[in-house]
Amino acid sequence: MVWRRVIKILTDLRLAIALLLLIALFSISGTVIEQGRSIGFYQTNYPEHPALFGFLTWRVIGLLGLDHVYRTWWFLTLLVLLAASLTACSFTRQLPTLKAARRWRYYEKPETFKKLALSAEVPTTADQLTALFAQRGYKTFTEGEKFYARKGLAGRIGPIVVHISLLLILAGGVVGALTGFLAQESIPNGGVAAVRNILDAGPFAQFQVPKDWQVQVNRFWIDYLPDGNIDQFYSDLSIVDVAGQERDRRTISVNHPLRYQGVTLYQTSWGIAGVQIQLNNSPILQLPMRPLDIEGPGQFWGTWVPLKPDLSEGVSLIARDLQGLVLLYDKSGNPLGPLREGMGMKLGDVTLKIVKVIGSTGLQIKADPGVPLVYLGFGLLMIGVVMSYFSHSQVWALQVGDRCYIGGKTNRAKVMFERELLQVLATLNSQE
Amino acid sequence: MDLITLQSTLDNLAFGILFLTMLVYWSSAAFPGLPFLKTAGTTGMAVANLAIATLLGARWLEAGYFPLSNLYESLFFLAWGVTAIHLFAEITTESRLAGVFTAPLAMGITAFAALSLPPEMQNSAPLVPALKSNWLMMHVSVMMLSYATLMVGSVLAIAFLLLTRGQDVSLQGSSYGIGGDRQATESLNLQGFSTVTDAEPTLEMGSVATLAPPTTIDSPTLIPQTLTLAETLDNLSYRIIGLGFPLLTIGIIAGGVWANEAWGSYWSWDPKETWALITWLVFAAYLHARITKGWQGRKPALLAAGGFVVVWVCYLGVNLLGKGLHSYGWFL
Repeated sequence: MVWRRVIKILTDLRLAIALLLLIALFSISGTVIEQGRSIGFYQTNYPEHPALFGFLTWRVIGLLGLDHVYRTWWFLTLLVLLAASLTACSFTRQLPTLKAARRWRYYEKPETFKKLALSAEVPTTADQLTALFAQRGYKTFTEGEKFYARKGLAGRIGPIVVHISLLLILAGGVVGALTGFLAQESIPNGGVAAVRNILDAGPFAQFQVPKDWQVQVNRFWIDYLPDGNIDQFYSDLSIVDVAGQERDRRTISVNHPLRYQGVTLYQTSWGIAGVQIQLNNSPILQLPMRPLDIEGPGQFWGTWVPLKPDLSEGVSLIARDLQGLVLLYDKSGNPLGPLREGMGMKLGDVTLKIVKVIGSTGLQIKADPGVPLVYLGFGLLMIGVVMSYFSHSQVWALQVGDRCYIGGKTNRAKVMFERELLQVLATLNSQE
Repeated sequence: MDLITLQSTLDNLAFGILFLTMLVYWSSAAFPGLPFLKTAGTTGMAVANLAIATLLGARWLEAGYFPLSNLYESLFFLAWGVTAIHLFAEITTESRLAGVFTAPLAMGITAFAALSLPPEMQNSAPLVPALKSNWLMMHVSVMMLSYATLMVGSVLAIAFLLLTRGQDVSLQGSSYGIGGDRQATESLNLQGFSTVTDAEPTLEMGSVATLAPPTTIDSPTLIPQTLTLAETLDNLSYRIIGLGFPLLTIGIIAGGVWANEAWGSYWSWDPKETWALITWLVFAAYLHARITKGWQGRKPALLAAGGFVVVWVCYLGVNLLGKGLHSYGWFL
């Protein structure tokens, strides 16, 4: 009994509509309040005095989880309820409607036609109707004086396909959240790295994380447009096993990732890892470069080169891209001028030569075992929504003497169907 | 004539024609007896549609990529979509009613693009690397088409609400198939109009839109009961939203698939995609409201009218926030 009441509530369309609108409403909150920032951020932007709209303080945000709306228990509960409602409606509402649509009957009494808004009495025969409606794409049936025609049955199946595919997408999302992982690695040109810096992983993701292979960056480079803007960045990657043996190799770029054993490596960002310099006739020295915290647009990387053994003198090297240009600044921040790769500058009694600026590639490494399920859902959903546009039209006729009672209805395209039926009636009347 | 001059002529031309077309549709509604106004309205829309297509084509030739690089181009693409959907609706339904509402919508969009945007925002901008992909161009253009379609559908829902102020109406069309039953009071009304239209004198322009009741049937015992103006408008709005909904679905999926192939994530709750989902949810609620027993009458149209605001927020509002994956500077 309880079960039956639960089903009754779940199949109530008003619940479905309420769920759709509630999910929409809570989704809005996530686009207005910044997501996933630090507590400090919310304390600064949503102070207690004065509270935004009189109630929206950082405490309220933290309590309700408005800083991560899409992962809160209440948002996920809404999604689970929606899935339950989808399932219940598919079985208790949609399948019976489809069955009813497939199981049609001839109209046997003239009175039945009076119930239809679009019905008339015209001089024609069932045979003539068959020809006329077949021409308009209808499937026709006749039995003696009785006639039936229909088209657009796909429009009755479409919504069921839509509901099933939405369930597949939601299931795919759950599988991905439980078994997928996301990692980020910044690897200098020529370096090798294992997948270690995991940012996010599901409770059952361990088997996905690669343990027997690493990523080697054979070469990383950037193509620039004539105006200095970035055209595209590339990483020539190898998958190497523990013994250093190459198993796969591919050059990736933005939009062109490398896939290996269910793990995908995407080109997402780049940086400057270091700079190779030479002081007078010293061996080539490599210094790491770090991103600088600056206000305003653009990004810069910097390092410091000592010019005296006691480190009392030195210059700062600043680079902003991998085009080989480095800017030099003295101790008090005055510019000393630009220096190209391969060129040197005399600083006091030391000649500083820039040998090479070394880039690093930013890779996003990801596995999502839910994707096949989601893609299946995407494909079916596209088919389902297109099918749902079709209107299921039905026409009945009954011959009485030399005249026919004719009538019809459709579920969606009322205006089009009315026009179509009136045209048929006009044709029949003009033939008289 | 070079392409730049052609463009600045065309955008003003499109605006001018749409302004006149709007006046034509309004006069046509006020004086339904003038047949040339009907032809003039359709012609105006078609010419505006071609002018915008030529404008976008010239930009495509000039820049070498699909013209959706900034707000100006995207607005004109939207206006093109609105005129195209209008022509589609007008041809399939043979109803001149939609133009009364779609013409001002298209006119407003072109006015915003051609007159209020500063010239530096009208110049075509280079594409950012993320947009240099055919898949992505498909995603963007299908999304724009769905916005245009949903806007037309919602505007018709607003029109329906205005026309049926304070009335009780029966909906026409849903996935279950409500409507289509003969109304009892109606069986011998030779005019073929239901009580709804007869009660409201301002609906005289009904004769513009509804199909002429067939007077050729010689037997008066059973004649078809045709849709009223309000019912036609409601069904038209429902069908156009029904077309925009699959477009929106396919557009969102194309974006998701592309994002997964390029960045490894088909969904990231970025503000723009969240608003696309919100739009999808609102119109899904609208489609379900039509088959809900307690929600007949004007209520579903209220949802569709709200959808008009949601589509605009999704299209422009989110870019005003200027953050997330979709901040390509379409606005700023």
